[in-house]
Amino acid sequence: MTTRVAVTGLGVVAPLGNSIDELFASLQAGKSGVRVLPAPCNGPQGSSIGATVETPTCPRIPETRLRMLDRVSYLALVAAIQAVEDSGIDFNQENRERCGVSVGTGMGGAETTDEGYHILYAERSDRIKPFTVIAAMTNAAAAWIGLEYALAGPNLTYSTACSSSAVSVGEAAEKIRTGRADVMIAGGAEAPLTPGVLRAWNAMRTLASADKVDPSTSCRPFSLTRSGLVLGEGAAFLVLESWEHAIQRGGKIHAALSGYGLTTDVAHITRPTVIGQASAMRAALKAAGCSPTAIDYINAHGTATLQNDAVETSAIKEVFGPRAYQIPVSSTKSMHGHLLGAAGALELVICVGCLERGWIPPTMHLDQPDPACDLDYVAGAARGDIPLRIALSNSFAFGGTNAVLAVEKV
Amino acid sequence: MNTLEAIQSILIEEFKLSPDRLRAEAMLADLGIDSLDLVDLIFKIEDRFGLKITDEVPRSLATLGDVAAYIDELLENQSTGGGTKAGTDRSS
Repeated sequence: MTTRVAVTGLGVVAPLGNSIDELFASLQAGKSGVRVLPAPCNGPQGSSIGATVETPTCPRIPETRLRMLDRVSYLALVAAIQAVEDSGIDFNQENRERCGVSVGTGMGGAETTDEGYHILYAERSDRIKPFTVIAAMTNAAAAWIGLEYALAGPNLTYSTACSSSAVSVGEAAEKIRTGRADVMIAGGAEAPLTPGVLRAWNAMRTLASADKVDPSTSCRPFSLTRSGLVLGEGAAFLVLESWEHAIQRGGKIHAALSGYGLTTDVAHITRPTVIGQASAMRAALKAAGCSPTAIDYINAHGTATLQNDAVETSAIKEVFGPRAYQIPVSSTKSMHGHLLGAAGALELVICVGCLERGWIPPTMHLDQPDPACDLDYVAGAARGDIPLRIALSNSFAFGGTNAVLAVEKV
Repeated sequence: MNTLEAIQSILIEEFKLSPDRLRAEAMLADLGIDSLDLVDLIFKIEDRFGLKITDEVPRSLATLGDVAAYIDELLENQSTGGGTKAGTDRSS
């Protein structure tokens, strides 16, 4: 049994805004959510930058529960609640065993883990908080969302580094497509802006150096002056439903989630490959039943690392041939940073919103093109009045998991 | 501030519980305080009173009053045992 998958709800808590409207206003204006982080994220090695979320309030989450939630779970819950409210679904009217949750996160409750180690090693105390395991466990966000709505179907967590939430959304869609669920709340969350996590990423030499004049311009995908990625925090969720289910309950449909491609690089633990990325894009096109000529926009993985952007450019050319030069490709990470496990879901939400709005967000801070990156990256300003029917969202990860999602206008 | 009042203030400030529910005879279970919360509460009580509780917290503690009495007993034992800092922060 296979069925079409409808996107019926969207929710975000992101560096560019804590609602869909705010997010799209920021994207259209080319705003950046990147800033210099406060202490203790800054150390003697220089200033750390990151894309931060203004912590939202959420009256639905009781204050008494907050002690048990790592920041990652809180952000996830707020974004998931937003998506459910947008969908208008009433779970009291649903068979809850046919409803589930799918979350992608790379690092889970990193803040709690960091804090626990601080107590243990810096304070030399053995008084680790009793909620440490519950807050830090990677599946905490998914569990809390499931508890919030008493959803008794699948409750899943995927951790494939930077493609975690593209995988979580893709796999949730598969649950619906194959008839194992009617409704899935799917997305991702990440809260990596802790001293420990930042230092660890910094040690890999993959983080962008802060622009001395304007730190908010430090993330420069596809640019000759790119120096690495900028870590960001946040969460993005979608409500996915079988087409019949959405129609039957009269839910509004934002878009069809029409394709999901999943392949793995088998060359190196971090270095991406053209063949792996290209095969994931081809698999998504095949699943969507569309030819390469049908793609109107690609939201690139576009991390602004030296390796990724050149390899991704080559992979797009590999799949689309000469037409690659006609397809607008943008990296919104230039504005919202790299949300790691939440990146794929956030960027898919952006693709859905673009289909609905008919414009494409820019790649910002791309003033000096890299000859190795020669596609149309929508540099500097959003592009409007474009008939958009199908968009691709690319997510590629350390560890080699490549996930590509296709969404189609309804 | 007596022991019960100190516990009440921890529950209000840190556990975000509503003050009108925190009577001495209030059952921990009714306040939503489970075994993990109780460990967390004990940590915070240790900080507040300068205590070090090494024994397992008795499972018989059912009400806020029970917790206060248990802490008072520990403070009493530590001060009569001599040589500990127990109780030195009680007036603060």
